[in-house]
Amino acid sequence: MESRGGRFIWFRPSPVAVTLLVVGAVFAVLTPAFLTLNNLLNVCTSASVVAIVGLGMTLAIASGNFDLSVGSTAAFAGCIAMSVVPQIGVLPAIALGIATGALVGWVNGLIVTELRVPAFIATLGMLTIVRGAALIYTRGRDIYLFGKTDYKILSSGVTPALLALAIALFFGFLLKHTRFGRHILATGSNLASARRVGVRTTYVLWSVFAIVGATAALSGLILSAQVLTGNGRLATGLELSAIAVVVLGGTPLTGGQASIPGTLFGSLLVAVINNGLNLLNVSIFYQNVTLGLLLLGALSLTSGWTSKFGRIASKGSVADVAKGGDGAKSA
Amino acid sequence: MSDRPQILSMSSSQHEKDRRRAAIDWDLLWEKFGIATVLILVWIVAALGTPRFANLDNLSSVLRQSAFVGISAIGMTVAIIAGTFDLSVGSAQALSAWIAVLVAAHYGVVPAFIAAVLVGGIVGLLNGSLVVLLRIPAFIATLGTMFLISGLTFIFTNGQTARFNGKDFVWWGNGQLGGIPVPFLIFLLCALVGVVILHRTPFGRYVFAVGSNIRAAHVAGVPIGRTVLCVFLTVGLFTGLGAALLGSRLYSAGPGLEPGFELNVIATVVLGGTRLAGGRGSMLGTIAAAILFATLANILNLNHVDAFVQRVAVGLVLLLALSVEGIRQRLFERWNRRKPPTN
Repeated sequence: MESRGGRFIWFRPSPVAVTLLVVGAVFAVLTPAFLTLNNLLNVCTSASVVAIVGLGMTLAIASGNFDLSVGSTAAFAGCIAMSVVPQIGVLPAIALGIATGALVGWVNGLIVTELRVPAFIATLGMLTIVRGAALIYTRGRDIYLFGKTDYKILSSGVTPALLALAIALFFGFLLKHTRFGRHILATGSNLASARRVGVRTTYVLWSVFAIVGATAALSGLILSAQVLTGNGRLATGLELSAIAVVVLGGTPLTGGQASIPGTLFGSLLVAVINNGLNLLNVSIFYQNVTLGLLLLGALSLTSGWTSKFGRIASKGSVADVAKGGDGAKSA
Repeated sequence: MSDRPQILSMSSSQHEKDRRRAAIDWDLLWEKFGIATVLILVWIVAALGTPRFANLDNLSSVLRQSAFVGISAIGMTVAIIAGTFDLSVGSAQALSAWIAVLVAAHYGVVPAFIAAVLVGGIVGLLNGSLVVLLRIPAFIATLGTMFLISGLTFIFTNGQTARFNGKDFVWWGNGQLGGIPVPFLIFLLCALVGVVILHRTPFGRYVFAVGSNIRAAHVAGVPIGRTVLCVFLTVGLFTGLGAALLGSRLYSAGPGLEPGFELNVIATVVLGGTRLAGGRGSMLGTIAAAILFATLANILNLNHVDAFVQRVAVGLVLLLALSVEGIRQRLFERWNRRKPPTN
């Protein structure tokens, strides 16, 4: 089945990749500390945490949905996994953590498809619930993992970057070459017509939400493994950074399209900028400002550009933009 | 206003009235009065079940608490009815509140409130211009300004909290007028303004028109750009006012004032029966929802429920309230399927 509205882009010379190169070059000139192996590894690690959950979010947005609960899911899964490492060992703990995330995601999907709550609100509710659950589980305290350095393998060296890359390749393959991937894009383009032509949208959405939950959990595991500390307040605000990275990468919020490499480049760009500013001793307060400006700059360029033509094509293009990102499609 | 699109004033034609009389629109009833009814029930149950709930001090503190989210939610109701929304209210609130406290300490109360409302308005105009002029989708535009403003607030404040406890300033957040908390009175006043704006002005009709079908509104001659700009301005102004009151309530304000405030505000509006898809919504619902959230927090506190469990409860209430409609739809569909077709 060919999904006409939905398309997936493997690669095109995207503005975000070009910006990444330019910004990287500028920092390389400004500070010698930037282009060291150690520092680049740091950049990759911090980019990977956002990238992994961002990749999941890319699928969610491609399917016409959002997941605002990823930050809470990351914290919940991270705490659960960390707390059971002493009892069941590292690998089973990691598996359990990811399964927890997938379960939370599936519940999100259930609320969206069965109770017909718009994804925005469903996951907003789950954001509070799961965050509460994480805090209850840890009783608001930290969970430490002494001496269990095996667990650190998740966050040490190139592991996070490799994981992000592997997930990106897998999702890219999924979207480009499998029926499931096409069904995701079809669901995101037009839920009603996808259902009419026989896509089982309910199952598609369950799987997508479960996948997002699993990626969120993996990010949470990496975050907690970095400091070998689990905390119910981990990854607060991760949901909005993840969406920002996806949007920066060029995936439109309207659904039906996805740019997997864009999400990777977007998260790298944010990480590079934060890292470069740190190296230049710029106050950490400026990181949010740059992220905001970056988002607005990127979007004003792209949407301003396309709407120049859009205006000729249809007079209601102002309309499209104003409606653009309200998540109403998921209703 | 002779060039006002005629189609907008025909919403209550004879045909429409007949149709309404014929079948009770449960969706509409739930949307208008659902949460208000739930609120009354919750108050009755709480008064019976929790001994310290039904005394004047406690009730007035509930009402006071509802005002801070509520005032911002009034602006947000307008925005969501217009089919957009604003994620930057949290950071706009922090910045406005900080400026209010700072100005109050140096120049007095009236300039403080003016400054806070002005800052809110500027943020709103910024959002509006980004959406209208640069055509960035509202979600991303306000996400961007959220990061931008919160970063700027940290830079302006240098991470420090501003404090001021002048009597005439903190009265606005903590005082009472005839036994009713001042913030709640202002909240009601704002709600009244909101109702008038929505239901008695051309702008209000434009808001509903843009939210229900933006293309149709465009064709009918509604000035889309100006309407959307004013919508964001409205959100900003209300948020600024609420922020000044919160600063006055807390005697202080700084960056990171209330994390997650934007999502609380949206949750309140949505719980009040306003559709995220736009075009439908009620101010009464928003007021009731704001009071309901404050009531729930209060009841849980009175019963010594853990703060962490409270979060779970709040989320569950939101999901429960929002799934009522979906469940009803499903039951209705099942019932219809069982029934033999009538024609």
